[in-house]
Amino acid sequence: MKTSKNLQLTIVGIAAAIGILLILWKPSVLIYGLQGAGLYAAVALPMALILGIVGIINLAHGEFMMLGAYLAYWFSTQFGIDPLLAMIPVLISMGIVGVITYKTTIHRVLGAPELNQLILTFGIAMVLSQVVNLIATSQPRKLSLDYVTASAKVGELSFGTYDFIFVAAAVLFLAGLLFFLRRTKLGKAAVAVGQNPKGARLVGINVDRTYLIIFSIALGLLGIIGTLFLTSHSIFPLVGGSYTMKSFCLVAMAGIGQLKPILWGSLALGVSESFIMSFQGYGGWADIVFFAIIVIVIISRAYKRTES
Amino acid sequence: MSKYIKTIVMAAVAVLAVAFPFYTGAYPQSIAQSVLTYMILAVSWDMLLRTGQISFGIAGFFGIGSYAAVLSMLYLNLPPMLTILIGGIIAGAIAGLLGIAVLRLRGMYFAIVTLAVAEIFRIIMTNLKGFTGGPEGELLPQLIFQGNPYLTYYLMFGMAVLTIIISEIFLRSRVHYALTAIRNDEIVARSSGVNIFKYLVIIFIVTSVIQGMTGGINAQTYGFVTPESSFSLDYTLLPLAMALLGGIYGTMGPVVGALLLGIVSEYLKLYIPYGHLVIYGIIVVIVILYMPQGIVGLAARIRKAGARNE
Amino acid sequence: MSKLVLQSLTKRFGGLVAVNGVDLEMTEGEILGIIGPNGAGKTTLINLISGIHVPTSGNVFFDGKDISTFPAHERSKMGIARTFQLIHPLENLTALQNVMIGFMFAQGMNQKDAGVAAQKTCESLKLEHVERDVGQLTILETKKMEIAKTLACGPKVLFLDEVMAGLNSDETKDLIETVKRIAQEHNLAIGVVEHVMGVIKMLTARVIVLDAGEIIAQGPYNEVSQKPEVIKAYLGGEA
Ligand SMILES: Nc1ncnc2c1ncn2[C@@H]1O[C@H](COP(=O)(O)OP(=O)(O)OP(=O)(O)O)[C@@H](O)[C@H]1O
Ligand SMILES: [Mg+2]
Repeated sequence: MKTSKNLQLTIVGIAAAIGILLILWKPSVLIYGLQGAGLYAAVALPMALILGIVGIINLAHGEFMMLGAYLAYWFSTQFGIDPLLAMIPVLISMGIVGVITYKTTIHRVLGAPELNQLILTFGIAMVLSQVVNLIATSQPRKLSLDYVTASAKVGELSFGTYDFIFVAAAVLFLAGLLFFLRRTKLGKAAVAVGQNPKGARLVGINVDRTYLIIFSIALGLLGIIGTLFLTSHSIFPLVGGSYTMKSFCLVAMAGIGQLKPILWGSLALGVSESFIMSFQGYGGWADIVFFAIIVIVIISRAYKRTES
Repeated sequence: MSKYIKTIVMAAVAVLAVAFPFYTGAYPQSIAQSVLTYMILAVSWDMLLRTGQISFGIAGFFGIGSYAAVLSMLYLNLPPMLTILIGGIIAGAIAGLLGIAVLRLRGMYFAIVTLAVAEIFRIIMTNLKGFTGGPEGELLPQLIFQGNPYLTYYLMFGMAVLTIIISEIFLRSRVHYALTAIRNDEIVARSSGVNIFKYLVIIFIVTSVIQGMTGGINAQTYGFVTPESSFSLDYTLLPLAMALLGGIYGTMGPVVGALLLGIVSEYLKLYIPYGHLVIYGIIVVIVILYMPQGIVGLAARIRKAGARNE
Repeated sequence: MSKLVLQSLTKRFGGLVAVNGVDLEMTEGEILGIIGPNGAGKTTLINLISGIHVPTSGNVFFDGKDISTFPAHERSKMGIARTFQLIHPLENLTALQNVMIGFMFAQGMNQKDAGVAAQKTCESLKLEHVERDVGQLTILETKKMEIAKTLACGPKVLFLDEVMAGLNSDETKDLIETVKRIAQEHNLAIGVVEHVMGVIKMLTARVIVLDAGEIIAQGPYNEVSQKPEVIKAYLGGEA
């Protein structure tokens, strides 16, 4: 217990030192890193929710975000509304997608071996990206919105401010989820279900319905983040795949069932990624940071587990 | 009785496969070669699955083999057949080193890490511009066997036969018992004297060598590598879908699945050129939900039920 | 000389001390009873001896050799065998094939010899239906198969973790006789964990009583069961 507190303090200390050095040396790295971190955290939180409560690792996670983004694109181009306004119908549609997906597929593999669960969601990921590919083609789509180009200037440094919306989203998601899980009746029931489904059933909680609601809430959140993603990124059918992996990485780093550490993990990853990007000509290596960290974190966690 | 039938069917299939190129044109032949490619990958994926480990990294080792074959030919001027072997050896060596760390992971952790590792390979190949040709990849000055399609077909066919033989040897020897025990319950396996780590590493290396060599043959056949095509996620997705459809934990399932899906998808490609992969996704979902034992498992069940009724 | 020696063996899981400073010696031909309330650390003790867990501190000696950090499969090859409280027959294999695994991997036999040896072991335990899939065995048959699996490893020390649980009284008698015969025939050191005291009384000459990871009493069952601390542990465990 005590050592882990010390360790945490050391890590925080090191992180703070790195942060201060970065501010002095390359302030933009910190800003873009923070913005990137917001996006990663916001996407990862719903995955943590599903894994923690429903107990399923959803390999179609990034694809659902992609679907949300395309839905937002469709709503906003079809009805000529601002994508941020489209967020509401997207949220609802994604909730419905969640209900349908849960009822027709997830529900059936809850008791099945992990192999079946993994491959099922992998298959769902394929279906989603390929269906979108069929309907919308693989051509990238982008909206040009003037408010996205908003920028600020501090001293010499000028930078885009819009992407701080992802930081706001991440913080709001986290606060909202914590409130939901700790203060509301439904949320408390969900936590109980996540910890001990059999026990929860014994005390009269409708486990299946809880799973359904949690899964749909998570997809709704992905709809929101997909919409925000659309406003400042170009989207294409395969855009989600890497977010599945990145989210998994963050969830694995945080530990199953944990939400808050996802924020810190995202920050570390976002900053290190933007740090590499800041070197001209080496930006292509930035992705490797993420994947290398996935591998290292997961392996080191595995070693820790086998030691005990 | 059924053993006779099995042997006869096998012999017939083999004769058909050998004679096939002489009676058809270039197009069916290239399809056949691609079906064989996926078949090998499907069988090799299943071989690792028998330990209970799900790999999403087939494309990684396939791509490594492809690059190793092409680069060793370009830089070292080695004969093409040797470069294919080198593709296998390098893939196997990387698997060995990686396996020591990665094979302590289980379930989703192993699956995700293999997927991430395949991505890492792809990114490295994309970014080592001076060495690998970067995003554009590299072109071979000439194709293996001067591009003779009969010979490339037979090469892939030989690789498929080799893979099937290895798979069958594993199924009939003590390896089968070790792997089944590991898949069932690792603690029980260890307590019965099975060195599970040793078996996991061996199988991981063997399957990676197979995947690397297959990548090498493929690269030598078409004469180029690029990060996008050589590490294409298709090489992970399609074999997985084929093995599932056919039935897992045996040789027959992936073979049947590859034949069926490979041929069907070629047809579909003609009608839906973009997005025919959706069929694969739907098959994966439906098979997992409604017939997790696959076609071969289903057939065995029906046969058993029939036998009971007699 | 003692076959198996434990020296202040301790295992922690986070804040919980599951096994706490256990000292113990077992000799060949001896049947030792290991009793104690639920959660006392009996299974954990077996896990430490068979190498499923690495001890937090303390040592395990086998034939005078310190094997505390040996992996489980090595220990199995050396002759430490055990059954599992939650039995896990290996599915997709027949009962005979389940038994063959120990002969093949712990004793290094080839497939054919292992088949013959497994057949013999099953016969000696009067285990029939060995060609059946493990799912189709009766409870008694399953239990016998689990014991056959341990014998297949060529044990010198054997631990049976609640093998009698779930059997009726006739089946229990049958299995008690079987265990006694094994002990004599193979000259093993056997550790028996049971909650049914009748079984302990009939099988063992000596028992140790674990409570909260510590040995609180040891000796012949009749003596130990009178001790106030033992009675208290059991009553406390039940309350
Ligand atoms: N792998 C583990 N991780 C954490 N705690 C464990 C682990 N294994 C056992 N424990 C804990 O250690 C304690 C001892 O458990 P153990 O299974 O050894 O008891 P036991 O004497 O076999 O009980 P029973 O009679 O119920 O089988 C228990 O409190 C248990 O919860
Ligand atoms: Mg126990």
